[in-house]
Amino acid sequence: MENKTLYVLSAKQISVQQPLSEEWMTQPVLYQTPYNRCIDPSFKDYVSPIEARRMGKILKRAIATSREALTASGLTEVDALITGTGYGCLENTELFLDALTTEGEQLLKPTHFMQSTHNTISSLVAIQMKNHGYNATYAHKGISFDSAMYDAVLQMRLGKINSALVGGHDELTENFYHILKKGGMMGHDDEMCAEAAVSVVIGSQGSNSLCKLVDFKILHQPTIEKLKNITTKYKADYILTGISGNHSKDEAYLAEAKELFSGAALLKYKHLFGESFTSSGLGFYVAAHCLKEGKIPAHLFVDPTDKTDRKPANILVFNRSDGTNYSLALLEA
Amino acid sequence: MTNPIVITGSGVVSAIGLGKKPTLDALLDGRSGVGPLVYLKTEHKEFPVGEVKMSDAEMCRLLGISPKAISTRTALLGMLALDEALKEAKITTDMLPGIGLISGTTVGGMDMTEQFYPDYKNNDNHKEYIAVHDCGSNTELTAAHFGKFAFVTTLSTACSSAANAIIMGANMIRCGEADIVVVGGSECLTKYHLNGFNSLMILDNRNCRPFDASRNGLNLGEGAAFLVLESAESAQRRGVKAQAILSGYGNACDAFHQTASSDEGEGAYRAMQEALQQAGLQPADIDYINAHGTGTPNNDLSESQAMRRLFGDNMPPVSSTKPFTGHTTSASGSIEAVFCILALQHGFIPVNLNWSQPMEDGITPVHQSLRKELRHVLCNAFGFGGNDSSMLFTKTEL
Repeated sequence: MENKTLYVLSAKQISVQQPLSEEWMTQPVLYQTPYNRCIDPSFKDYVSPIEARRMGKILKRAIATSREALTASGLTEVDALITGTGYGCLENTELFLDALTTEGEQLLKPTHFMQSTHNTISSLVAIQMKNHGYNATYAHKGISFDSAMYDAVLQMRLGKINSALVGGHDELTENFYHILKKGGMMGHDDEMCAEAAVSVVIGSQGSNSLCKLVDFKILHQPTIEKLKNITTKYKADYILTGISGNHSKDEAYLAEAKELFSGAALLKYKHLFGESFTSSGLGFYVAAHCLKEGKIPAHLFVDPTDKTDRKPANILVFNRSDGTNYSLALLEA
Repeated sequence: MTNPIVITGSGVVSAIGLGKKPTLDALLDGRSGVGPLVYLKTEHKEFPVGEVKMSDAEMCRLLGISPKAISTRTALLGMLALDEALKEAKITTDMLPGIGLISGTTVGGMDMTEQFYPDYKNNDNHKEYIAVHDCGSNTELTAAHFGKFAFVTTLSTACSSAANAIIMGANMIRCGEADIVVVGGSECLTKYHLNGFNSLMILDNRNCRPFDASRNGLNLGEGAAFLVLESAESAQRRGVKAQAILSGYGNACDAFHQTASSDEGEGAYRAMQEALQQAGLQPADIDYINAHGTGTPNNDLSESQAMRRLFGDNMPPVSSTKPFTGHTTSASGSIEAVFCILALQHGFIPVNLNWSQPMEDGITPVHQSLRKELRHVLCNAFGFGGNDSSMLFTKTEL
């Protein structure tokens, strides 16, 4: 099937950088600590205080970024709501697990359980937006957001939908930060563990879009030859990598990026936004806004000697999650 | 559809057995697998459940893997079902790098997390299980038992997860991204969700009675099922037989409440309507509906309303197979899809067990075994949060 050009209409984030803003382009917030939670905006414009009390952070952030992305997209509604979340609603999962282990099985209340399933996020956004369209949630490690985006892209190619709000949401409580670090899931070397809330609206038409989405692919354990067959067609000038401060992983990541994209400038974003299962959504967001601004901030270059004021024509978001799951998003100005 | 999507292999494990042969026998004989709790460690012995009648160690033995290997019950169940599906479709390891795998789960590795959580918080014991807590890791454990698939991802939309995996796989084939995508879902019982459902007061302490006036909640179950979806062209080229055609599917959101369905069943109605529309069929063409039919007062009423709105005077025979297996949550969409394929192949309508009295404003399900040639059957799977999906399967030789 022919890859028709799609448009990234808007992209909004809440992260360890200033929320719902692109201030990170000029004045990034810098961290020295290995674990950081989001800088949250005031949620009073998005949820009532009564609702907010019962809602986990991940849900409030999802409502805020979704609503802001929809407004910025210029659309009044979208045809599909698709969310990626690696761990789902961890805060409520933890509260229910804590109750189960300390209070036993007799007196449990339903609130935390109800809000602990992964699809709570996408269905709550649907309830808030009164959206009866296609609704799905992906929970697959470092390609959770990517899987949601891939689903949207395929349905747009098929003409089943003309627009989609694609989200990437992960929260990280202090308790689970320690558990996941213990399990070797994150927090190696200089890696900053963080949270992510990102909402992107893509459409089949766009007069005032951030950029074009030319191609999107996901691969599992591909051979280098298989990757080369795809990447040689892309002719990308900039490669946005997901190197995170995990030394041995980063080394392999950069070596592979150089082999696949010789001559292209390598970029990074996780030194600013941190690592989580859905940080690739923030990578997508970063690339889209760089293309809109026509400028790549100097602090994103892996090799400072690559720095240039040249207006980027395209950026390839190259996600190599654990060296197992790959996604390739080719964005064009 | 110009190039139909066919099912060239399917595999299943649930409370009524491992594999399609025992599953078919149980469905034809009206033999339920729901009973007293044996394997899950919980205080709630009062609830009947649909357990797969094997310990984790027994499953490991069947699969030829070490019982000490880091795994989860969800992943093991997935491997058992996937093995049968791949064998039926004559898919060998060397073919996997050209094939996608999409699974649905919500519980993932929670069976291990709930056992070892105090350790995770306080010491280093069992820390190797932390990496298999999340949903995606469970799909990858299942996948890695067979080899290297080209694409692996996981849907998590609660009780419609497997149905949505089927829909995504079909969209991939229609887009030409792959000729073959293996789709389904897997979910084990856990103390976590048994207690969660109990706190919501939607578990029945008797065997569940979908669409019955006395229905009072659901029984939880566990299991896994996978379908090999393949473009008809590819199936023909490979010389593998099609078991059924996936002729349509729909996904819609009820957008009503986190854990309840709307009175008029808006999401369910839209999902079924979309499936019919895609297949170019009329309500009168449908010969059987395998309902979501959990046995909760709310679901069965809402689903009845949705079916009435769509089918009016052309209401086809309807049954819920949840009394056989219990509600297998994330896996239910693919397990019941396998039941529908068996029904199409063998010409019967599975009975809605435990039914005796009509409910107010509800449909009357098929409550006696029925032999009948079927052409088109609908299969519903609805999840918390109003994630409603419906699949339409068609007999191959029309």
